[in-house]
Amino acid sequence: MFSIRRWCLLALSVASLLCADAKSSTGDSVLVVVDPKNQDQYSTFFELILYTDGGYVLTFRSPKAEGPVVIEDDAPNFAHVILLAPEARNLGKDITPQSIVQLLSRKTNVIVALPTKQSPLHSLAARRDTPSTLIPIKVEDHSSPALTKHIEPVWFSGIPASLGSNPLLVPILRAPSESFASETTVTSGSADAVADSVERGGEGLWAGSSLSLVTGFQATNGARITFVGGAEIFSDELAQKETERHRQSGNAAFSREVAAWTFQENLVLRIDKVEHHLVNATEPNEQYTNNDQVVFSTYISKWNPTKGKWEPYSGLKDLQLEFTMLDPFIRTSLPPVRGAPGKYSTSFRAPDRHGVFKFVVDYKRKGWTSLESSTTVPVVPPRHDGYPRFLSAAWPYYTGAISTSVAFFLFSTIWLAGEVNERKRSKGSKAE
Amino acid sequence: MFFRSFGLLLLAAAAQASILTLKSPRFVVSDSIGTQLRAEPISLEHRTASPVKLGGRDTLKLTFQVVEKEDGKGVQPHQTFLRFYDEVTGEEGIQPIRVASNGKAKFDLNPSKPPLSLPPTPKTASGEVNPLQLTLLIGSPEHEPLSIRLFDLVLPPSQPAPVHPDEIKFHLQEELFHTFRPDQKVPNKFISLVFSGIALAPWVVLLGLWSQVAPAPTNLLSPFILPFILSLGAFETLLFTYWVKLKLFDVLLYGAGLGLVTIFTGRQALASISAQRKD
Repeated sequence: MFSIRRWCLLALSVASLLCADAKSSTGDSVLVVVDPKNQDQYSTFFELILYTDGGYVLTFRSPKAEGPVVIEDDAPNFAHVILLAPEARNLGKDITPQSIVQLLSRKTNVIVALPTKQSPLHSLAARRDTPSTLIPIKVEDHSSPALTKHIEPVWFSGIPASLGSNPLLVPILRAPSESFASETTVTSGSADAVADSVERGGEGLWAGSSLSLVTGFQATNGARITFVGGAEIFSDELAQKETERHRQSGNAAFSREVAAWTFQENLVLRIDKVEHHLVNATEPNEQYTNNDQVVFSTYISKWNPTKGKWEPYSGLKDLQLEFTMLDPFIRTSLPPVRGAPGKYSTSFRAPDRHGVFKFVVDYKRKGWTSLESSTTVPVVPPRHDGYPRFLSAAWPYYTGAISTSVAFFLFSTIWLAGEVNERKRSKGSKAE
Repeated sequence: MFFRSFGLLLLAAAAQASILTLKSPRFVVSDSIGTQLRAEPISLEHRTASPVKLGGRDTLKLTFQVVEKEDGKGVQPHQTFLRFYDEVTGEEGIQPIRVASNGKAKFDLNPSKPPLSLPPTPKTASGEVNPLQLTLLIGSPEHEPLSIRLFDLVLPPSQPAPVHPDEIKFHLQEELFHTFRPDQKVPNKFISLVFSGIALAPWVVLLGLWSQVAPAPTNLLSPFILPFILSLGAFETLLFTYWVKLKLFDVLLYGAGLGLVTIFTGRQALASISAQRKD
């Protein structure tokens, strides 16, 4: 069943079995729904990339089988799901679009290979010796936040997708500018077919780099789903096919990056702790007063897939803090603190208005986990003795009051301490 | 092994593939009446240096013929696209061009009836409109692909591309500052000093008169009178300390204790004075 080459690959991978290269932050059980007839075609993806490199535990299921069930009693059975059976018409009772949405809301990540019956992607203004449905695509280095390494040109065959403007979408692989989607195989039909299809369809021709072939979507709770335009991008055949200049294609590296992003290995952040206090204190106050100098700090970690643990991360350059009561009153940047890895801190003056405020950290960037934190704290007006005292305008009053006290004390001292002779004499003279 | 030989075979075949080129590519910009504003041939070696400006009612007409390089025979390729690309925003639009069977093609662009594929050209912060880079992409299964960079096009300003309302949260937002009430204005310290001086003026009178009239404090240190004087002093000190830092219940506590002491010393002192008077 396996060719000699594949046995060699497997032997190498078995040798490195003990050192799994990267780990996911949410678990390593994966359910793969794939037709058993096609399962060997993806052996590089399953054995080398997922099992050996990623340390995932794979469970295979045929599209016609009923079990193992993906979600049972509202709890997911697996941490991740791969649907690699684009030709199958239905995938079992428990895998429907609604159940996939439910999986995402239960924080399960999914890779979906889309069926290729719709208009496939062609590229004629490309290499001549490739059939028009197989396209080499050059991957620019920072074209997508989900791709963290340099990737050699990738072979692709499948359908494109047109993207909306939703910022939760993370396009991973865009179509090259010379490509277009057409319902007929272009090599056979007439040359007018492409121009005709524009007039027929209401939205024009699907062409160029505004189309996306591999698209990721990160839900607001952090679960990630990737839609792949065709399952062949994971196949062994394309992983070993050479691109121009006799270099091996980047398909294997690309599949690794797609799995790493979707299964929560790369670009995963979390907030460990949030604290707030007055400038010279360490314990948090229950309430703050107007015009107090308040210090807010947060500790953020990033998942390190090679070590398999959370590490403090000081690389966020544009973190912002909002001090909000219905609307943000203050928005400042939270810079990282030098010397304390993972700590971001800032201090600001509490506003003049009293009320119930919230410290809000709301960090969303394409491809990264969204960070959300909200701490409620009351801000009260100053108490009766919180106002400034001993003002220079009151000096006349102070001197007046103090001199009254001093005068009373001096007078009573003099009266008590003095002689009492005169009184007696006058009393006596009166009696006479 | 299998894949390598397959690739080599086709590479050999590719060496014989014919190369396409354009014959007499030309563009003409004419206004709504029909007068030609700019008419130039397009060079395949050098890019047209100055960008082509198109007004709201002008028309851009592009004509060319696709031929094979060796024999000049007209070719009708399967894919003839005009690509509009905005380098600054990354917006791209692809417009297919109809080519006749002898390879001749023409394309009209009128901003008042724009094709669907035209990318948005909003006004930027400086008031200008970004130029669109035009590229001609020609593909055919029997020939080598052809990609020719044409001139840059400056269109009249349009509405910007629609932005999702959540998009602003995904970038750095502007900082907000709270406007605090201004600090209370305090009058000049010199004025306060002058009036403090006026408040202290009666002391001059008092001390002056006392130096004439007051009796000498001979009994100051007698054991009956001194404690009372000290208690009075302690009360004054307590009131001063209350003003500076104590709270009400503290001062009531101290005051109660001190008051008890003062009752006894006071009785003692006044009894001694009245005893002195009886003598």
